[in-house]
Amino acid sequence: MSGRRLSALTASAVLFLLFLLQNRPSEVLRRVRVLQATASRELALRRLAGSGAAFDRAYFVFLESARRLVPAGTPGVAISVEQPTTTALYLASYVFAPVPVLLSPRQVPPRWIAAVYGARQPVGWREIAAIPGGALYARP
Amino acid sequence: MSAFVLPLAALAAILLAVGAVGFGAAVALVPRGTAWRADRLAWGFGAGLAILAGSVALAFSMRAAPGWLPFLVLATVVVSLARVLRIRERAHPAPVRRLSAASKVLFAILIAGIALYAARALTEPMWANDFVAVWGFKGKTFFFERAVPERLFRWLSLGFSHPEYPVGLPFLYAGIAFLLGRWDDHAMALLFPFLQAATLLALFGWLRRRGASRELAFGAAGLLSFFEPLYRAFTTGMAEVPLSFGLLLLGTSVCDRLDRTDRGASRRVAVASVICTATKNEGLYFVAVALVLAAIFSLAQRGFAARAAAMLALPAALVVGAHRLLRGSLPLRDFDFSLLVQPGALAPRVKESIAVAVAETPVAAWLGVAALAALLLAGRDSTAGNRLLVLAACGFAAYLLLPALSVRGPAWLVGTAFFRTVAGLAPLVVAGTGARLIPLWPEPAGSSPDAASGSARGPAASAASPGPPILSTQGS
Repeated sequence: MSGRRLSALTASAVLFLLFLLQNRPSEVLRRVRVLQATASRELALRRLAGSGAAFDRAYFVFLESARRLVPAGTPGVAISVEQPTTTALYLASYVFAPVPVLLSPRQVPPRWIAAVYGARQPVGWREIAAIPGGALYARP
Repeated sequence: MSAFVLPLAALAAILLAVGAVGFGAAVALVPRGTAWRADRLAWGFGAGLAILAGSVALAFSMRAAPGWLPFLVLATVVVSLARVLRIRERAHPAPVRRLSAASKVLFAILIAGIALYAARALTEPMWANDFVAVWGFKGKTFFFERAVPERLFRWLSLGFSHPEYPVGLPFLYAGIAFLLGRWDDHAMALLFPFLQAATLLALFGWLRRRGASRELAFGAAGLLSFFEPLYRAFTTGMAEVPLSFGLLLLGTSVCDRLDRTDRGASRRVAVASVICTATKNEGLYFVAVALVLAAIFSLAQRGFAARAAAMLALPAALVVGAHRLLRGSLPLRDFDFSLLVQPGALAPRVKESIAVAVAETPVAAWLGVAALAALLLAGRDSTAGNRLLVLAACGFAAYLLLPALSVRGPAWLVGTAFFRTVAGLAPLVVAGTGARLIPLWPEPAGSSPDAASGSARGPAASAASPGPPILSTQGS
């Protein structure tokens, strides 16, 4: 075998080994087990069990519950959380899409409803539904 | 299991149907014959996805509901047109050679790589930040609104979804959802292992046509299939995997056009240009780089400039023009291009970008770079391979230096985007490296697809230097 071939084979083997080590069997097995455990559940519950909701699973339950109760024709939802983060904004925007979402805005646009994550009640708003982790409010 | 398995099976059927439509349209892109079968499958899948995304755009523009009817109407028109414009060249079937033991092992590795990525991609609904905030968010909005709402491009509060990004991928997501009849962001993840398989087919087919032995082509594809930085759960749903497929199509088709391997090369360049430009903003950059590189590489040749340049530039200009019509002119808000004329301010930022990238590169990656360098040195000079590697190097340079213009600072962009975007160059790098290795593992004489098709040049020679493998024009 030529030197070039031997060099190429050795380098390929090193690369393959490096790639193989990045594919940890334990991770793959864990993923298969997660899939087996969640595959029979509805889509929202699979997302709840997944990485996208891991930063605050209760927040995802709150969002999904709110989404199901938002009246048809609602022009937008203002979500109030104690500590607004981009992750919270992205997840809320995706869950509610195509209904527009604002996260903890200074002013809520007219006819929008408010979804408050936590126990606070906005002054001057009436509660329209209690949901896990918070409540939905509308202007009187 | 049925909550996931039934939609997954439906998605698989949809992707196969879309691929079949594309396979029909690919008669206008690649010559007939077994030597081109892998290419035709890969290009067919890319064309099918483009038709599906295009059917959504078309339906929206006609204020109709997207779905099977617009898709099938557009597919019928495109496939009919493709049959009229089909390439009449036919590559003679290569002598059938039994799979060697090495080929079987390498093929098994390739399948294992696809299965591993499928396991990672399909574990849960797509969840990466960029899917949730950008690609999936827009696709879901298009699907439920049955239109492209103007607020996506106008509202400041939706700036996080990057209104300046192309909408090809969101249109594709919406198109899949319209065919499925619902938005299922878990089953839809199946698109990504399909894209990986199409990328591997394109790589395998191109290397084989360039004279690589089956073992080398399987080995290259098998190695790429295990490249976890690209094919991992986190990138599933984002634009890197689709773009990496598009870049491989772009690079290989430009090489084919420069070497005039067949009459379909120009058309493939045009299709690849559309796919890249419609997928990500840097797709346009890669098309521009390909245009410059093609001009440089073809200085010694005649006849390239006008037609190939048009095939690269016009489709990209069409895509850019369509986006302008849809949303107007939107700035790249993440970047401050005024820094380009302030060398004093730019230099330390460039230095910071490079320093952060070097500091955050793990040891394993350096080992990988060293092994790649050894592979490149072990190979022999290959014009086709060099073109692909230079295209990838230009991409790498852009990904490394662009953070210097980031409004949020170089370190932030390097940390959030550098490694995953660079990973998208892997198919180009593997193809370029593979081309350099062809002289070491050429197809045995007399059984090369190119040799069988009547090329006057040896298969290794066709990869090492530009030359037109001659295809017969028998049959139609």
